[in-house]
Amino acid sequence: MVDQRIYDIFREIGRDLYTANMISSHGGNLSIRLGDRVIIKRRGAMLGNLKMHDLIETRLDKNDSGVALASTELLVHRTVYLNTPALAICHCHPRTAIAFSLSREEIVPIDNEASYLLKKIPVITEEFASGTPQMANKVAAALQNYKIIMLRGHGSFATGQTLDEAFFWSSTLEEACQIALFTKQINEPFIEYRGMSDSYSKF
Amino acid sequence: MPNIKLFASLRKVTGTKELSITGASAGEVISELVKRHPDLAAHLLENGQIRPHVIITINGHPATDMDTLVTEQDQIAIFPPIAGGQGEYL
Amino acid sequence: MKGWNGKVLEIDLTTQTHKSYPLDMQMAQQFVGGRGLGARLLWDLVGPDVDPLSPENVLIITNGPLTGTGYQTSNRFSVTTKSPLTGTVLDANSGGFWGMQFKKTGYDVLIVRGKSQKPVWLEIKNSELTFHDASELWGMRVYALTEKLGQNNNKRNVLCIGPAGENLSRIAAIMNDRERAAARGGPGAVMGSKNLKAIVVEGSQRPEIDDKERFKFMLYETRKLLAASPLTSQALPEFGTVVLMNIMNNIGALATRNHQQTQFEGAEAISGEELTEKYLVKNAACWACPIGCTRISKTDKVEGEGPEFETTWAFGAQCGVDNLPAIIEVNSLCNDLGLDTISAGSTIACAMELSEKGYLDSDLRFGRADLLARCVEDMAYRRDLGAEMADGSLRLATKYGHPELSMSAKGMEFPAYDPRGMQGQGLLYATSNRGGCHMRGNMVGLEVLGLPKLIDRFQVQGKSSFVILHQNVSAAIDSLVVCKFTNMGVADEYFARVLSAVTGIQYSTGDMTRVGERVWNLERLYNLREGFTAKDDTLPARLLQDAPTVGPSKGWVVKLEPMLKEYYRGRGWDEYGVPKPEKLEALGLANL
Repeated sequence: MVDQRIYDIFREIGRDLYTANMISSHGGNLSIRLGDRVIIKRRGAMLGNLKMHDLIETRLDKNDSGVALASTELLVHRTVYLNTPALAICHCHPRTAIAFSLSREEIVPIDNEASYLLKKIPVITEEFASGTPQMANKVAAALQNYKIIMLRGHGSFATGQTLDEAFFWSSTLEEACQIALFTKQINEPFIEYRGMSDSYSKF
Repeated sequence: MPNIKLFASLRKVTGTKELSITGASAGEVISELVKRHPDLAAHLLENGQIRPHVIITINGHPATDMDTLVTEQDQIAIFPPIAGGQGEYL
Repeated sequence: MKGWNGKVLEIDLTTQTHKSYPLDMQMAQQFVGGRGLGARLLWDLVGPDVDPLSPENVLIITNGPLTGTGYQTSNRFSVTTKSPLTGTVLDANSGGFWGMQFKKTGYDVLIVRGKSQKPVWLEIKNSELTFHDASELWGMRVYALTEKLGQNNNKRNVLCIGPAGENLSRIAAIMNDRERAAARGGPGAVMGSKNLKAIVVEGSQRPEIDDKERFKFMLYETRKLLAASPLTSQALPEFGTVVLMNIMNNIGALATRNHQQTQFEGAEAISGEELTEKYLVKNAACWACPIGCTRISKTDKVEGEGPEFETTWAFGAQCGVDNLPAIIEVNSLCNDLGLDTISAGSTIACAMELSEKGYLDSDLRFGRADLLARCVEDMAYRRDLGAEMADGSLRLATKYGHPELSMSAKGMEFPAYDPRGMQGQGLLYATSNRGGCHMRGNMVGLEVLGLPKLIDRFQVQGKSSFVILHQNVSAAIDSLVVCKFTNMGVADEYFARVLSAVTGIQYSTGDMTRVGERVWNLERLYNLREGFTAKDDTLPARLLQDAPTVGPSKGWVVKLEPMLKEYYRGRGWDEYGVPKPEKLEALGLANL
């Protein structure tokens, strides 16, 4: 049984992701690391509507009985935990960010908040499905140096000390992409307001 | 009356360390406090909500829910944001 | 290689000779500098058979690739040695200006071995080293000595010991730039045991930077971030670290009267607010620091730097004293004598409790502000009871039959945060490699301030993950070497990029954390080699069994056992707290 307080956080953030249109009914994933254990969504559960039994606790390094029930993305999450300082992971499908990821190698925000917090978001490609070592290793390697990255056409992976943080980066990214989209629609000359802004893409 | 204690820069803003304010919930008490000392609004509130990283404790425990009911015996302490701001973490 | 100077200066005081040779760059890449490099060198140089106060102990001073580059707070340096207080590996870290100047001499590392026959002081002017006779200087206090040797913050910097170090007090500090201290664990005594009175540096070399554009960008962003964080831009400059007094007291985690209580009724009287209102002259800063947390305080009797939160607590709440001017004055006295304020205050508190309970015959009682100065002088000169207090609370309490009344872990006295009010902090104290210390991964951010987010300070499950992460990151920062307060506005991903920009070697954020993890595990191995075991990863019975009866932490003791089990597993150690071979392999420590 997962601690009530932990469940509350998962449920709230899951709901926030859904209502913010950052996941579909059954998409996305949330996990946290507790020492040498991982708590992750049950396979087939809805993040927007998590029940206590939708959270599975399993070992970080080896399979145990929990693995049969856990999300197919468990391998990615484990690999990230074993290879980065992450203590929480938020994986979601932010629509505008995904759209942008289809035509560039990195997303460089132009709005204030994301410039400040994220600087740039690299885009990586891996066609192999979730749950494969290829994808897991690629994602973990990218998260070594950036706290949020895009998997082209698929979605974002964000890490943090808490789920709150990981969600924060994800939400900031989507906001940044929506603003960038509006800017394209408005289509007027950009007035640069940030000092040393050409350095962002070299972050 | 719930006893309210103010700390750090909040003291200069209000000119006092301690106040007595009635209210049924923590949120009500803070609203009344800001009404009496409007200069506090900039320090404590953002869009009508308590700014992140303002530390409010009720009897020494962080008050995360402003609907928490308070009584006259409860000690409320308010510290200005001393963590917070954009982009910091760890 | 940019960033690092690439040179080591090794001095043998016994033969009054020295040599300089290239820094092992492989080692430097793996351990970066500061604490990490110091630990790695100590591993090779000082083994379990060495008495910390013997000539065979080695004093290692290191700066790092970022030191002196002008990056915010790039002024710090590390002193590494085997601690005379704890017997563990010790790294003491200090700010001010000396570290910056030492970098300018063209060396990264200073290794001091042996023992001089007569008191000596060293002068390093760029690559030139001169031995000077210090017979006339022996016995001088820190302020007078610093002035006499020509202290000029930006040009010529003095590092020295006072009478406490000369008299081999195991809680003696190494002082620099008059009032900065590398204090914990007694490094001053190591210098004293070598008859080394001072090290003065003067240099003119500037460190090279590989990618200047990127470095400038990092400077710019760091400046913005530090300005945006209320802690670094408002609370610390305005109130100093003492801003924490009221906060810790309010939540019931301010150790009081030798940890007998967790709240102090006199907290307001010794708070940051009180200091700012009544005794503050202005704030001040170390080299290249925009934060300016240093206090310049004044009473009728003294004016000088400090006091810091921990000092104010150690002589304040811990001793039951609510007299702030007395604390300001005893802080100044400790600086002048060269004593660690945390250990000194807490040892006095221990003596106070021993006296009140009748185990020790003295006039010391909690609240006796008037006796603080006398105690501290007696400790520095080993007079009367001071002779027994000079070596810390554990030796004192053991001598009088009650070692359980020493509030320490591995012999080092705890700082202010009472872990019965902060579970994570309790785990930190028990597992810190240099003993009861908060700077090895301070949980105050997460458990109290909400930086980045408030976590439940009483929660036990999962807490070890945070402690491990913070320990690793702190170790990395101590190896750069920059000030941890920068980390309160700037995340470690920035440090990784600054390090890359300066050195030209690409470190990812994960690489930085791994450096920290490597350093942590190396320090652990060192202590294991010294004979420390999992049994030493513990806390005094008071914190494990005696719950506070009033206040917000009422009813809580530190639930160390479950946290420690989870911690060992999380670190990849076995159930005896020994790093497993796979872990050492992964960190590149398998050959040790």
